[in-house]
Amino acid sequence: MNVFMDKLALLWPEVAMMLGAVACLLAGLSSRQSLRKATPAVAMLALVVAAVLVRLVPNAQGAYDPGVDPSHFLGLGGMVPFVKMSVLALGLILVMVASGTPEALRQVIAAEAKEGKAFEPGDCFRGEFYAFMLFSLTGVMLCAGASDLVWLFLALELTSLPTYVMAATSRDKPAAQESAVKYFFLGAMSAAVFLYGFALIYTATGLTEFGPIVAYVEQNGVSPMMLTGVVLAVVGICFKIAAVPMHFYTADVYEGAATPVTAFLAFVPKTAGFVSLIGILGLVGWGESHGGTASELPEPLVYLLALIAVLTMTVGNVLGLMQQRIKRVLAYSSIAHSGYMLVGLLVGPEAVHAATGSNTLLSNGLAAVLFYLVAYGLSTVSSFAVVACMSRADGSEVETYDDLAGMRQRHPFLSGVLLVSVISLVGLPPLVGFLGKLYLIGSAYAAASAGSATAWVYPAVVVAMVLNSAISAGYYLRIAAVAFFGTDSGQTVELDLPTRRWGAAIAAGAALLLGGLPGNLLVESSRKAAEPPLPNAVPGATLDRQNADDTPPRETAEAGPASAPH
Amino acid sequence: MTGLELAKLIPWIAALGAVVCGLLCARPALKGLAGWVCVLAIAAGFGLTCAAAMPWVTGDQHFETFDHSEITRGEVVTLARWISVGGSYDTQTGEQTGMEHGFNVDFGYYFDGLTFVMLFVVCGIGMLIAVYAVGYMRGDPGVARFFAAMALFIFAMTTLVMADNLVLLFLGWEGVGLCSYLLIGYYYSKDTAVAAAKKAFIVNRIGDFGFLIGMFLCFQVFGSLQFADILPAVQAKLGLIDPYLLTGGAAIAYERLYEVLQTTNASSPWLFYAIPFCLMVGAFGKSAQIPLFVWLPDAMAGPTPVSALVHAATMVTAGVYLIARCMPLFVLGHEHAVAVSSLSPLHLVAAVGAVTALFAGTIALTNNDLKGVFAYSTVSQLGYMFLGLGALSSTAAVFHLVTHAFFKALLFLTAGSVMHALAGTLDIRKMGGMGKHMPVTKWLMFAGCLALAGFPFTAGFFSKDEILAAAMIKGTGDHGSWFYLVLAILGLATAFLTAFYTFRLWCIVFTGETRYEMGDEHHSEDDDGHGDHHAHTPHEMPFWPMNAPLVVLLIGALAAGFLLAPPKMLVGDALPQRMHIAMHESSAYIPEQGAHAGSHTADTAQPDDAHAEEAHADHGHTEHHHEIAGLDAHLFMMILSSIIAIAGIGLAFLFYSVNRSLPAKAAAAFGSFTQTLREKYYIDEFYDRAVVQPLNVISQVLFVVDQLVVHATVMGVGLLPGNVGRQLRRTQTGKLQGYGLGMLVGVAAVALLLFLLLNR
Repeated sequence: MNVFMDKLALLWPEVAMMLGAVACLLAGLSSRQSLRKATPAVAMLALVVAAVLVRLVPNAQGAYDPGVDPSHFLGLGGMVPFVKMSVLALGLILVMVASGTPEALRQVIAAEAKEGKAFEPGDCFRGEFYAFMLFSLTGVMLCAGASDLVWLFLALELTSLPTYVMAATSRDKPAAQESAVKYFFLGAMSAAVFLYGFALIYTATGLTEFGPIVAYVEQNGVSPMMLTGVVLAVVGICFKIAAVPMHFYTADVYEGAATPVTAFLAFVPKTAGFVSLIGILGLVGWGESHGGTASELPEPLVYLLALIAVLTMTVGNVLGLMQQRIKRVLAYSSIAHSGYMLVGLLVGPEAVHAATGSNTLLSNGLAAVLFYLVAYGLSTVSSFAVVACMSRADGSEVETYDDLAGMRQRHPFLSGVLLVSVISLVGLPPLVGFLGKLYLIGSAYAAASAGSATAWVYPAVVVAMVLNSAISAGYYLRIAAVAFFGTDSGQTVELDLPTRRWGAAIAAGAALLLGGLPGNLLVESSRKAAEPPLPNAVPGATLDRQNADDTPPRETAEAGPASAPH
Repeated sequence: MTGLELAKLIPWIAALGAVVCGLLCARPALKGLAGWVCVLAIAAGFGLTCAAAMPWVTGDQHFETFDHSEITRGEVVTLARWISVGGSYDTQTGEQTGMEHGFNVDFGYYFDGLTFVMLFVVCGIGMLIAVYAVGYMRGDPGVARFFAAMALFIFAMTTLVMADNLVLLFLGWEGVGLCSYLLIGYYYSKDTAVAAAKKAFIVNRIGDFGFLIGMFLCFQVFGSLQFADILPAVQAKLGLIDPYLLTGGAAIAYERLYEVLQTTNASSPWLFYAIPFCLMVGAFGKSAQIPLFVWLPDAMAGPTPVSALVHAATMVTAGVYLIARCMPLFVLGHEHAVAVSSLSPLHLVAAVGAVTALFAGTIALTNNDLKGVFAYSTVSQLGYMFLGLGALSSTAAVFHLVTHAFFKALLFLTAGSVMHALAGTLDIRKMGGMGKHMPVTKWLMFAGCLALAGFPFTAGFFSKDEILAAAMIKGTGDHGSWFYLVLAILGLATAFLTAFYTFRLWCIVFTGETRYEMGDEHHSEDDDGHGDHHAHTPHEMPFWPMNAPLVVLLIGALAAGFLLAPPKMLVGDALPQRMHIAMHESSAYIPEQGAHAGSHTADTAQPDDAHAEEAHADHGHTEHHHEIAGLDAHLFMMILSSIIAIAGIGLAFLFYSVNRSLPAKAAAAFGSFTQTLREKYYIDEFYDRAVVQPLNVISQVLFVVDQLVVHATVMGVGLLPGNVGRQLRRTQTGKLQGYGLGMLVGVAAVALLLFLLLNR
């Protein structure tokens, strides 16, 4: 069979997403109003179809054999479908939350057909809005499967570029354009940084594909040039995950964009960033999966990452503590959560420490990151969605604590959802945020007991993480306290957007549910997603990588040796 | 095993009842139903108990025994694994291994004779009291809350007596404590009730502390808290079971015990004493023994059915149950103590029991509170039970527990009727000649008083004799110790006091010239179904639902002794014999004779297995023969205590019925001692000075420290993130170029750091 077609066959979910985006563009400009109104439904349909395809694709290849082909260059074959499924699921909730956003714009309303006036397709960008959402989500999915530096760069930009436009067009106010411009310029600058890092990696190895780079590094060791390249790439990608020192934009951009778009920004680029970081860091560490012995990240990288993690969580939390405006509070808190997740990257997969460390259910750092992404996504999206569900009496967005005061009395349902989401963000049982934090801390604890030269770092970051959780409780619980015990401002009304409301409720419900017994399923599947192949499955991997030399960057196969979790 | 499969539902039916009653709180119109829901739930529990226990009571089925021994094993019914910690987990295969080194507790129930006896008491008496309470509480605004707490209490109490491990037992233990708190404080607008509830709760914490420590030590020694593991292991250590017969957890527990004995200093195995001592402290708290008895008299602030059920018949006997259940642990320490001629916790149990009995009995002599007299009498009777336990006769103790539940419930409920009739008056000095108004209540209480006083052939007579005879047997004869002899004499003195104060109360209230003062409680307004007005005259209680359960209790108080008495007194009657054996099987988990045998061998300092085995062989259902003054010990005690009881009753009639001027003269004769008794030995005042006030001072000092040091530190620490945030806020200027600069500086800083790290 044609090699190109062979590779393309693995990309069916992405193809479906692209087709869905095109369908959104068409539907948004349809001459029939009912079809225009159905644009979000088209987007949701595309997401569902893509999810089904994610399940089907590995099996569609008759010759596919998970035992022989670990497919991911780190051997983390299960990670790709896990990330795709999580992104699609959260994407569905995000589309639900976002529905109604472009429809509320003056220009779009004006474009609609009215008495004596025809529909003005040129003024209506409903279709673009949802199409961009799908494009961006496709970018994340491609990041997850990327096995080449160029591919990864393109996927990252595919994730980010639509978000700039989404931010700009989401509100009628200049603040939205301001935020988009800031986001774009700073994003471009960060792209320059990590692209420079990619260039240095190429300089050091002469390769762009991950598999061969890993093999090269194993043979020749990590040269300073290589390390510098990786560090610059990591720092550049820190923009995507809103980590220090690239965090400055976060609050301004998040505040300026319409709240549903903020929810999108808080989850989607962050996921892309973390998935890319797993790939980039895998070039120089966690070696077992590519035939070598298990290794930690290079020592300088461990210190740098630990520093970035601690600074990120601290900066996010102390700034969040000072804020009066809800969206800025949540924006800073999203910085802090990136800091927590970096701890998981620092630890790496459990194979690194398995030989010497204590081996518990929760000792896999990468699985913890994957789990926490979902946990954080659900909680943060539902909290933003609650804010998006309300507005002030004059139609402007809810901004300060005072606006939320006493909302329990008139919006009991929304305040319940808000309570669940902030409690989950604090990390209290019985919600999924608690399990996520436990997972991260558990992995760091396991690494701490491994007894390597850098082992002292792990207890330190755990202490920082716990202290930061305490600080974060200061503002999260303030939100809940204000909403439940404050004096009703009487200024807020609930928007008539049932889809958005249900999006919030589903996210919060999932956060509640996954914090209980069903959470085991997510723990299990994240474990499997981040599990290196069994030793006897490895030889095939090297063989496969040799063949892959001059093929285009491939979206690698979907399931690892462990059956694909979803 | 269908009976036991059903029996595991007993607590849960009560829990369901509690939930339903709780829901009825919100429906004022349906509040009246709450009482019957509660009664139904308890009655269902009673029915299930009967169904489960009947095969054993009738003798159709025996508990399985360990081979070559008379020791029965309880049946364990496990609902679910409850707590499972430790052991190692293999991430590859998902298998758990080495669980015997972890901490594992099942949510399971343990059935043997003792459990059934306790279940009969809890559900049977509980059902009767609940029926009475339906009438007593009628018209009270919080009636649904009351019955919710009652049903919850039954849930907790049945869990306590059915638990198959110490942790679950502790859960029930705390549950009954909570319900006791809720029910004492039922009239939450009364300051005294609230204070009493808090007092009960706090004093019980002291006991619970001991219980918890005992539990920890148990786990340390045995690595398990399941009765089915611990008790056989100890019995094997005592030589009652062949260790090779043990299996599973029991075998592991035995090995652990053996190892502990190897490694610790064998001459002073303090753990032998520590475990029973700590458990004993817990039992003393719950069962109101010196020095933790002070809460029980105050607890009478709750509604009278609560006093009857929780603070007389069931909850306060939980301590007796605990020791009876863990008897082998106590015997282990006891045997060692006897061997080295020192005192063991069991001696302490006996001594505290006897002293408490006498002490509380003397306070009851001068108490003028209708319920207070019975409260002190309960403390006193509980003291008897502990004396029985301490004399190694847990059968007698549990027997007394059962009969006491009958007659004390009867007494409290009749007292409740009097109180009800007088609209809350409790001071007996304001009462007299009530018999004319309440003839049925008069005779009901008379019967209860007879039983409490130990009048011949009432229930209390048989059970009290069992205890006193057990103490006397240990105190006389060839191997007798003066220690038990003294305690037995204390017990006899208490018996006299009991007879006297009981009939003092009865004579004052029901005989003599009619006088009464109505109280100010109107807890049954006009809707109380008997359509009278409390403001006028006292009245008899309606037969249903109030007097009918009392009649059942009356029968129990008079006849339970015949039903449960030792078989030799009731020749040829199968049922009582069987009941007694059921109780014996349970409480004699370490049989008394076994203990005797142990002490014999210890005394003669020659371990004589043949002797011990002989003792086991003749152990069983024939009583051991021990003679005092040419008579069988039991018969001797019966005659003696009959004389004492009748003397006490006679004296009471003389003082309070025939010639009412005598008490004043007697009181004057004793002078200051009478005053001391009236003030209850100033114990509350003593505790106030010795414990409460110092604690107050300490806590005030600590409060200042807390404010100045802890609070200030916490607030100071809290300022730190705020200040850091305030500084960092300056970086968030909102200017694009500023952000870009910041990012570049960050990249440069990272590059610099990397450079430094690479060139270290």
